[in-house]
Amino acid sequence: MKPLESNHISPASAAALQDVSFTYAGGDRAALSRVHFELRPGEMVGVMGASGAGKSTLAKCLNRIVPRFEDGEFSGVVRIGGRALDGERVCDVASMVGMVFQDFEAQLFSTNVAHEVAFAMEQIGLPRTEIADRIGPALEAVGLAGFDDRDPTSLSGGEKQRLAIASVLALRPAVVVLDEPTSDLDPEGKAEVFALIRRMREQGLSLIVIEHEAEELRNCDRIVLLRGGEIIADGPPAEVMIQLALLEDCGVHPPDVNRVMALSGIERHAASIDEAEATIRARYPRLPAVHEATTAIADRASAQAGATVEAGPALLRVDHLSFAYPFGPLVLDDVSLEIAAGEFIAIIGQNGSGKTTLAKHLVGLIPAGESKIRIGGRDRATLHAAETAQEVGYVFQNPDHQIFAATVADEVAFGPRNFGLDDGELARRSEEVLSAVNLTAERDRDPFLLSKGERQRLAVASVLALRPRILILDEPTTGLDYREQRRMMGLIGDLNRAGIAIVMITHTPWLVAEYARRVVLMRKGRVMFDGGVREFFTRDELLANSSFRPPETTLLGRRFGLAALRPEELADWIKGRA
Amino acid sequence: MPIYLYLDNSSVVHRLNPTVKVFALFIMFWSVYWVDHPLALLPLGLLMVAMAQLTHSWPNFYRLRWLFILLIFFTTLAWMVFYRKGPALINTRIIHLSRASLMFGLGRGLKLAELLATSVLFLSTTKVEEFTAGLQRLGVPYRVGFAITLSFRLVPLFIDSALTVVQAQRLRGYEFNQGGPLERVKRYVPVVIPVFMGALRKANNMAMALEARGFGISATPTSYIDYPIGVRDRVAFAALSGLGVIYFLIYYMGYGAIAVN
Repeated sequence: MKPLESNHISPASAAALQDVSFTYAGGDRAALSRVHFELRPGEMVGVMGASGAGKSTLAKCLNRIVPRFEDGEFSGVVRIGGRALDGERVCDVASMVGMVFQDFEAQLFSTNVAHEVAFAMEQIGLPRTEIADRIGPALEAVGLAGFDDRDPTSLSGGEKQRLAIASVLALRPAVVVLDEPTSDLDPEGKAEVFALIRRMREQGLSLIVIEHEAEELRNCDRIVLLRGGEIIADGPPAEVMIQLALLEDCGVHPPDVNRVMALSGIERHAASIDEAEATIRARYPRLPAVHEATTAIADRASAQAGATVEAGPALLRVDHLSFAYPFGPLVLDDVSLEIAAGEFIAIIGQNGSGKTTLAKHLVGLIPAGESKIRIGGRDRATLHAAETAQEVGYVFQNPDHQIFAATVADEVAFGPRNFGLDDGELARRSEEVLSAVNLTAERDRDPFLLSKGERQRLAVASVLALRPRILILDEPTTGLDYREQRRMMGLIGDLNRAGIAIVMITHTPWLVAEYARRVVLMRKGRVMFDGGVREFFTRDELLANSSFRPPETTLLGRRFGLAALRPEELADWIKGRA
Repeated sequence: MPIYLYLDNSSVVHRLNPTVKVFALFIMFWSVYWVDHPLALLPLGLLMVAMAQLTHSWPNFYRLRWLFILLIFFTTLAWMVFYRKGPALINTRIIHLSRASLMFGLGRGLKLAELLATSVLFLSTTKVEEFTAGLQRLGVPYRVGFAITLSFRLVPLFIDSALTVVQAQRLRGYEFNQGGPLERVKRYVPVVIPVFMGALRKANNMAMALEARGFGISATPTSYIDYPIGVRDRVAFAALSGLGVIYFLIYYMGYGAIAVN
């Protein structure tokens, strides 16, 4: 059988979009515009681009969520295994295209792991014996063998996402689409899922992976880059990933090793750190082997890290704080900490290590015992909630947990109004913080219509309006694309330079390296390390035990005996030694 | 904290056919419904205590202990305030304590507590999937049964998000407990809106994920677990039917009511 084909799409393709355009109902521009895309059997394609570039829309076309589930104007043809999907429902293509979403909580419906894997097979009407036969292998494939009777809600984030993948694999689809599968995961979960993706690839599955950290995709077969609903680059990583300016322009974080090489005058793609090291050494043969002091550029470069506000007097002091929920194990175990004016601290550690519990103590969401926490010299336990709010601000991870007002300006004024400030002062503060987060032009807009990055900045603004001296941010860049992340961090850096002490809970290595000046590493409720960022990245045994992988710039720098934090400083050093 | 009440024990009750368990839920509600007198409710209460012991469900009752205590206490109290019949033992402007008001209050309190206890027992021994299968066997369409059971999953998620929102707004200096009753309800707007918007988003994501896994392709999906009906199930069914008839007769013959004098 040889289907009639138009354009350049090969009949042997695993999946294809031919001239596909889509505009969401009520949307003012096309989410996809005349897109041609092809996935060959056994190929792994990485789809990248800024928020709103059309990545998810492209993925959703493949299993008919667009246009069957999402309303809008659709044209073009989608083919799976050569067959055009005209008029099919989403459920009809479930066994051909497996789709895994970012929100893993919303993908699990069952009370135990085996039922979860069985769910899709039950829907498509597989006989009972067949279902039972497929559950074991599917769980084994994702490394969850023996988890059959576990409650999915008791699994870690990485395990949940792997379970979602198993339930899709059980249908034996020809194509698997993963839409930002690791965005909400901690580094361990991320590593687990990407290891699984590599195994799926080795087994010959045709894969589409949407992602905005380029590092994870540098070994795939092809990169498709989207901008404004159009494909603007489509080629092997070696071609696409050296176009650093283009990647950044598309809201993608280019691989830092490629940036280091580019800044050192080498226009090449490195598929691994080994390859980058070899390439750099070939070009700069006089670079030393690894026996120099590891903090060679440590102190000089901290000046380059931007702000160097001298740490002032202690604003907050935690004194031997321990905490456990009733009948539970210790969540915080003898934690002592001091936060001085103007500091920039990153709190890192695996999920469940006590980071958030500590932060909640600092702002008073969990009451601390007498004189365990002192804020501005006063005992936290004696402070009224309102008094703390003006000392320590807390920005929740998900801005949608606090946004409710009809306009941006009202949202910002909510906090100060609760403290009974008069209208003149309200207006002054609104103006001040909206301009700080660059949302002045949006002051009369409905917050729910803002982009994720804008909503995150609004959440920061509404906490800032209370003028806290310490600002705690829980994962402030989750779900943002690279451009939005840079913008968010630029804002936080500005606030820090203005004198506000920043405490940032994060999983993202390069944020720690490039922005923080002090690292607090937590494990099982204990502070395992508290000190300078550069020093932290030279403590190998600590890093190995904390499952916190340093950013690639640092890993590459270590090959030359340096604790480099930013691509620029490493490239400068390389060129200086040439 | 586990979100579900289901306890993975393997008691006789756990192993009953889901249809029988759904039927048991119905019969218990039915029996509790017909009688008001605490003495008539007492056997049902004892039956539930026995079931809790048999199914090792005490941890769930312990988790909800305050709810049970408050339910019985406040219902009893409320009836002393509003039910002003019968010869008074104590009669003030607020409290009217009589044998009748005490019996009524205690009866109502027990009734509510038993309804709650039945639900706790049911959820402790029945997986969500079994619930769906049981409903399906009783003639409820698969989609409807699935929607009902899915809501059990969503409630804890929404409670969780509501708690986070309350914390976020409190940190912005917001006081929830101010003003009169109406004002207090209105003060929950900054919580209701984010929770509602989040729920919509979550529901949308879930609907997409469900369809992407083939939900809707067939009105009668197959079931991974077989639920055969055994001798045990037949016995349980007969016993439950008997219980239902007995309680209707107690009502019919007037034994379940409370005399005012």
